[in-house]
Amino acid sequence: MSTAFSHDEKAHKQDAVRVTEPFAELVAASNYSFLRGASHPADLVARALELGLAGIGIADRNTVAGVVRAHIALRDAHKAAAEIGVPPPALRLVVGARLVFADGTPDIIAYPATRHGWGRLTRLLTLGNLRANKGDCTLHLADLLEHLDDLLLIVMAAPTDAPVLHTLHAAAPNRVWIGATMPRQGADRRRLARMMRLAEATGVPLLATNDVLYAAPEQRPLHDVLTCIGAGCTIANAGRRLEANAERHIKPPAEMARLFADFPQAIAQTTALLARIAFTLDDLRYQYPLEPVPEGWEAQAWLEHMVTEAARDRYGRELPAKVRKMLDDEFALIAKQKYACYFLTVHDLVRFARTRDPPILCQGRGSAANSIVCFLLGVTSVDPVTHDLLFSRFVSEERAEPPDIDVDFEHERREEVIQYIYQRYGRHRAGIAATVIHYRPRSAVREVGKVLGFSEDVTARLTSTIWGSFSSSMAEQRYAEAGFDPDNPDIVRLRDLVDQILHFPRHLSQHVGGFVLTEDRLDETVPIHNAAMEDRTFIEWDKDDIDALGLMKVDVLALGMLTCIRKAFALMRQHDLGEHDLTVDLEADDPAVYDMLCRGDSIGVFQVESRAQMNMLPRLRPRTLYDLTVQVAIVRPGPIEGDMVHPYLRRRSGIDPVEYPSPAPPHDPDELKTLLGQTYGVPLFQEQAMKLAIVAADFTPGEANHLRRAMATFRNVGTMHNFREKLVKGMTARGYTAEFAERCFKQIEGFGSYGFPESHALSFARLVYVSSWIKCHQPAVFACALLNSQPMGFYAPAQIVRDVREHQVEVRPIDINASGWDNALERDGHGRLALRLGYRQMDSFRNAWAEALVAARAEIGRFTSVEMLARRADLPSAALRLLADADAFGSLGLSRRQALWEVRRTPSGELPLFAAARAREPLVSELGDEPDMQLPIMPASEEVVTDYQTLRLSLKDHPMTFLRAGLREDGVLSCEDTNNSKAGKTVRTAGIVLVRQRPGKGNAIFVTIEDETGITNIVLWARLFERYRRAVMASRLMQVEGVLQRSREGVVHLMANRVVDRSDLLATLTATRGDGAITPPLARGDEVARPVPSRHPRDARVLPKSRDFH
Amino acid sequence: MRQKTTGEQNSAGRDDAPADTPLVLVEKVRGAMRIAATCRQAASLGLSAGLALADARAQVPVLSVTDHDPAADLAWLERLADLCDRFTPLVAIDAPDALALDITGCAHLFGGEARLLAEVSRFLARWSDDVRLACGDTPEAAQALARFVPAGVSFESEDATLRRLPVAALRIEEETQTALIRAGLKTIGDLAMRPSAPLAARFGADLVDSLDRLLGSADSRITPRRAAPALRFERRFAEPIARTEAAMAAIGELAEEAAVELEQRGMGGRRFIARFFRSDGRTYDLATESSLPMRDPDVLMRLLNERLAALADPVDPGFGFDMIRLAVPRIEPLTPAQLQLEGGTIAQEAMAELVDRLSTRLGRGAIRRFQPHDSHVPEQAALTLPAVDLPAPAAWDAPQQGEPPSRPIHLFDPPQPIEVIAEVPDGPPHRFRWRRSQHHVVRFEGPERIAAQWWKHAPGKSPGLTRDYYRVEDARGRRFWIFRHGLYETERPDPRWYVHGLFA
Repeated sequence: MSTAFSHDEKAHKQDAVRVTEPFAELVAASNYSFLRGASHPADLVARALELGLAGIGIADRNTVAGVVRAHIALRDAHKAAAEIGVPPPALRLVVGARLVFADGTPDIIAYPATRHGWGRLTRLLTLGNLRANKGDCTLHLADLLEHLDDLLLIVMAAPTDAPVLHTLHAAAPNRVWIGATMPRQGADRRRLARMMRLAEATGVPLLATNDVLYAAPEQRPLHDVLTCIGAGCTIANAGRRLEANAERHIKPPAEMARLFADFPQAIAQTTALLARIAFTLDDLRYQYPLEPVPEGWEAQAWLEHMVTEAARDRYGRELPAKVRKMLDDEFALIAKQKYACYFLTVHDLVRFARTRDPPILCQGRGSAANSIVCFLLGVTSVDPVTHDLLFSRFVSEERAEPPDIDVDFEHERREEVIQYIYQRYGRHRAGIAATVIHYRPRSAVREVGKVLGFSEDVTARLTSTIWGSFSSSMAEQRYAEAGFDPDNPDIVRLRDLVDQILHFPRHLSQHVGGFVLTEDRLDETVPIHNAAMEDRTFIEWDKDDIDALGLMKVDVLALGMLTCIRKAFALMRQHDLGEHDLTVDLEADDPAVYDMLCRGDSIGVFQVESRAQMNMLPRLRPRTLYDLTVQVAIVRPGPIEGDMVHPYLRRRSGIDPVEYPSPAPPHDPDELKTLLGQTYGVPLFQEQAMKLAIVAADFTPGEANHLRRAMATFRNVGTMHNFREKLVKGMTARGYTAEFAERCFKQIEGFGSYGFPESHALSFARLVYVSSWIKCHQPAVFACALLNSQPMGFYAPAQIVRDVREHQVEVRPIDINASGWDNALERDGHGRLALRLGYRQMDSFRNAWAEALVAARAEIGRFTSVEMLARRADLPSAALRLLADADAFGSLGLSRRQALWEVRRTPSGELPLFAAARAREPLVSELGDEPDMQLPIMPASEEVVTDYQTLRLSLKDHPMTFLRAGLREDGVLSCEDTNNSKAGKTVRTAGIVLVRQRPGKGNAIFVTIEDETGITNIVLWARLFERYRRAVMASRLMQVEGVLQRSREGVVHLMANRVVDRSDLLATLTATRGDGAITPPLARGDEVARPVPSRHPRDARVLPKSRDFH
Repeated sequence: MRQKTTGEQNSAGRDDAPADTPLVLVEKVRGAMRIAATCRQAASLGLSAGLALADARAQVPVLSVTDHDPAADLAWLERLADLCDRFTPLVAIDAPDALALDITGCAHLFGGEARLLAEVSRFLARWSDDVRLACGDTPEAAQALARFVPAGVSFESEDATLRRLPVAALRIEEETQTALIRAGLKTIGDLAMRPSAPLAARFGADLVDSLDRLLGSADSRITPRRAAPALRFERRFAEPIARTEAAMAAIGELAEEAAVELEQRGMGGRRFIARFFRSDGRTYDLATESSLPMRDPDVLMRLLNERLAALADPVDPGFGFDMIRLAVPRIEPLTPAQLQLEGGTIAQEAMAELVDRLSTRLGRGAIRRFQPHDSHVPEQAALTLPAVDLPAPAAWDAPQQGEPPSRPIHLFDPPQPIEVIAEVPDGPPHRFRWRRSQHHVVRFEGPERIAAQWWKHAPGKSPGLTRDYYRVEDARGRRFWIFRHGLYETERPDPRWYVHGLFA
């Protein structure tokens, strides 16, 4: 059967010749209309540019969260045009929101015509946001009518919506349009005719639009998938919930003209509306809050005065020339950019924290430490004069970005600072920045897989091969690893869609602590939302948006170590060990502290406590604060992946000569010497890598800045590869070896994920020193403070307690007549400090119970019976049982078993009626005598196991002790014996698993095991891992056979050949006398074995990656 | 009194994975997939209930995983309980994984307890290869022995064995268990040999009661389940009846009995089976289904007679039938129908009756009914399904008020190719040739653009062609539904045209 097709001569081919009317697409939803729009805002702008539109309007569902991205995209296009010297694109971007109502009003797209209109729109959205639950926005037509000023409205009306049009037309004459579409639904022309009649009847003009959901028709499958995710259905049974066709993309003006041939005026209206809008996001002239300054002072002058006074205090009345110059430079820039109030704000926060009683410890981090003003204001603690830090790395003119000062506060008390900010500026002037939660490989695979009809198990299997949640791409290999054929059509489709949906925004969440403050109403700049956390509100722009618009942000962050240090200082004060603050003894560079670190004795110390850091300490042998700075920065993926660690160590220890790669003449052969002098010619810090690009590869500062941004936003865009060629070419052109250039690039790439700027490392190094100093001189204080600050850090309480006992500190058990909620310090007979465990170490025990107990004890001095405790402290039986289980009745002479038997029959609390009367009488037991139950004595092994079950640690013994005899018979060495064996010897050892790690590329697996004599570090190659996977992953008690390796610095590793899971031995510690059918295991042994530090997301990014992997 | 418990491992029953892959059943517990049950192989690899699936996979990467379905497990247990009716009428379900049989007074029928146990074991082996059996003086004792004594271990005295079992055999709360173990009281014996008052003071009287029931010093019985047997009506004849008509008459009487019984229960049958037992042992079945529950004996007999007449192989009485049975295996609630005022029942029932009769006569697939289906693709927007299967006719989208119908009353399957002269790229057709005659389009509306279902096409290849539908009217007033197959140039250089349907 053949069909003929011919062009109809008579058909008017209108569009070919005629000059098309300019058209602006004014109804476009980006992917910030979550699960509705299927294109990034930038892609919509790019497509509009490509098609030569007169304008594009981005309007997302009840939000303006995506508009800044579009704004940046157009600004970049202008910049790019300027760079290559072509006229800027004619496209105009207008931004607004699509108002979706809860009362049946048709959707209305609102564009502010002026800055004032923008404020009305954001106020309106804020109203809807705060009225609704998190993530929702509830609007009514009446709300819009109250916020109509300077808003232009496009009503997506149906032919029957005349009443609402009349209302709006009356309220906002000449500011209302009817959005008309030609969606290819069959009756389009008839519908358009009806809309024309509606327009005539209401006097509201028609405006042509395509009600865009994505940039190009190819994105229809993606849009369908998003629709299905939203509807919770699969693509196969989504039916008519999907769009019937792929028409809702941006169409070229000619196509739109053809579609609206019946009513060309509708096209003309688009440019008419466009012409009425004067507002752009650049008009958000930001007014930072004016900080109060003393009468007669300007902010800038006051800041200069305060800083200069502080400088004179520090450096003497006559300021050194260097300081004078630094101050002048900074003051000039601050004055020029009008940042004075910002610095005053941060100063005020720090002042607030320090004047609390007791003071909240705080310290600036990040690049703010480059600023002498920050230092003299007490925000940061590193003196830029002595460390030669450059202010321009913090703020510079060409970067045109506001400064970003991050301050860490004690993690337990940060909320006080946050509430102070809200209280001081008010919720209408202060808000936390948003964090856009994007689709990550895991979530993308799971949700797209579900839509395509994959079972949950299959998607779980696919996602389980993605290590960590920050992997930025779903490499083909991952699919193969999961046992799927990467060429299978279903997998191809899944991968294709996952690639598209990756980095799509999913929802907004609050930033960890970045505050945006304004002088005027914040909600007239950006809409505000309720956060999931009580008492928190956040704005809907994230860090990048804020930077792009020049808003200033103060980061109020939480750091567990500051809590620990403050608690340690408090303990020292309490026990007459002196007054200390964060500057403790820093100048001294105490050799004892460094000796301790060089031994790798750093459990609990800030930053350098991970296994990788511990292994590095004896090799790097830090002796000064700057060495600690290097130590902090070097065990990071940047230097490791750039292969900079070994060269640094070899040069430092004098094995390799220190040399600086030189460019070919005519360039200065020593150009790198100044740059890399302090680090033996090896770039270790972020700034060095940046400077390297400028000096050695001829990057302009602007390009280097791009590079810096690419590094900072590595997770959002894979733009790093763009710089590779430029860097390597630039360096080789100047005569560097290609190999060196490659290494530099690798390192810069690594910094993209995890790198430290020098100033940040310096700030952290100080905390390393302070925490080491406390640990070195007051191990009991340090352990006590660390335990009282949990959860934080890398180690579980068991390891902290073990460590402090190894430092000859007595640790005393929990006891009803001695303990409080917190762990505490007691003096022993010789005046030495001993650590008394507190009730907080017990699982499920409550602070209120502890307080009641301590209060009752204070009143009567000492409990003499279980009954007395129950009555006087009014404890419920659950609390008594927990105390008995934790063996806390030792001072009554009761064993754990006796106590447990006793509390089970003790009635809890006391009837209030009798309480008062009895308070004056001696306690008479009401419990009758009982027949002796002749309970068997609890064996020591069971005591230890029960300790682990209730406290997650035991002071009595290590579980391995009880297995030692049997293990010795099997030829299994203790950890101590293993570590003392000859290098190269094959040994067999066993212990409780503390942590399993698979860092970096996963070539090796690191396992740390522990027994009663110490710990052994095990390395297992990936090849063997596959063979022993089950044993490695399931073992709580692991037996390993391998070859002992000892590095020159004495670091010992056991290179495993064979791994056996001996967890069954643990069961024998409590075996019943029956036939062994039940085996109560170390119920929480696995958690003892696998500390899962619950960290602050921000900290997690900065601390070395450590995790038990899957 | 002797009772018996069987323990069942439920995972073995639904293993559809390759034999060598360990199988686990998983369920979602607070957002995380956790193992609910494992097969024996998975258990031997150290996987156990409660483990997170992700952890399990970290240990055993190749794992076959199926969703845990407690309802199916229970249904299966119900089925086993049905089958165990043959040993004793008193069967109880001990969820989630055990049955308890009260065999008091039954054992001798099988030649003693040991023989009965062997028989049960042999019988259940057909259903599961992992059955544990034990006899006990009380149900508690039996379940404890079945659960805690390893298979194959024989024991001298029931009491001594029970005393060696761990306290978990009491099926007490975990907290109590832990407390007892921490007190050093780890076995049933440890508890039994001590005074009971202090135990009761600390752990409640329940503990002491459980202990007494387990050791047989307190009475205990199972609560047998009530089976809901299908209805059966039988007639035995002293003298075999040799004529089918007579047999059908007897069925008619049974149908009336059934109607009375069903009415009392407020139920109706969806399926009826008449079974003829010939005296030489052969049986014939006449079965009928109805689309709505029913119990009217006349209607039933009409259906059965239709069925009888439609049989290819007629019922041969041979030497006569000595028994006739009418079974109603599927019954559903049937509330009496409200009669209309002017008499007669509601039309829906008449329709259903017709459907039943025709389906019975012509076969269940022969009578079909259109059912709306949610799809943009016109030929998929309606399905035809066997009319007897449909629970109730689904509602169709109401046509829009004042709008012409957007779909024709007749669809060609497949669409018929036509030759068209039309405007490019996506203009309407001007004239077309169909079945050798020219049609000049004088009116048209469209296009209605319907894109292909990309997910049904292999990725990387064309995602299928988009259709542009037009409703057109030719010079003689005839109305067609025609479409262009493929977008001009972007999808095809020369799209083909088809007529897909005719409007009234």
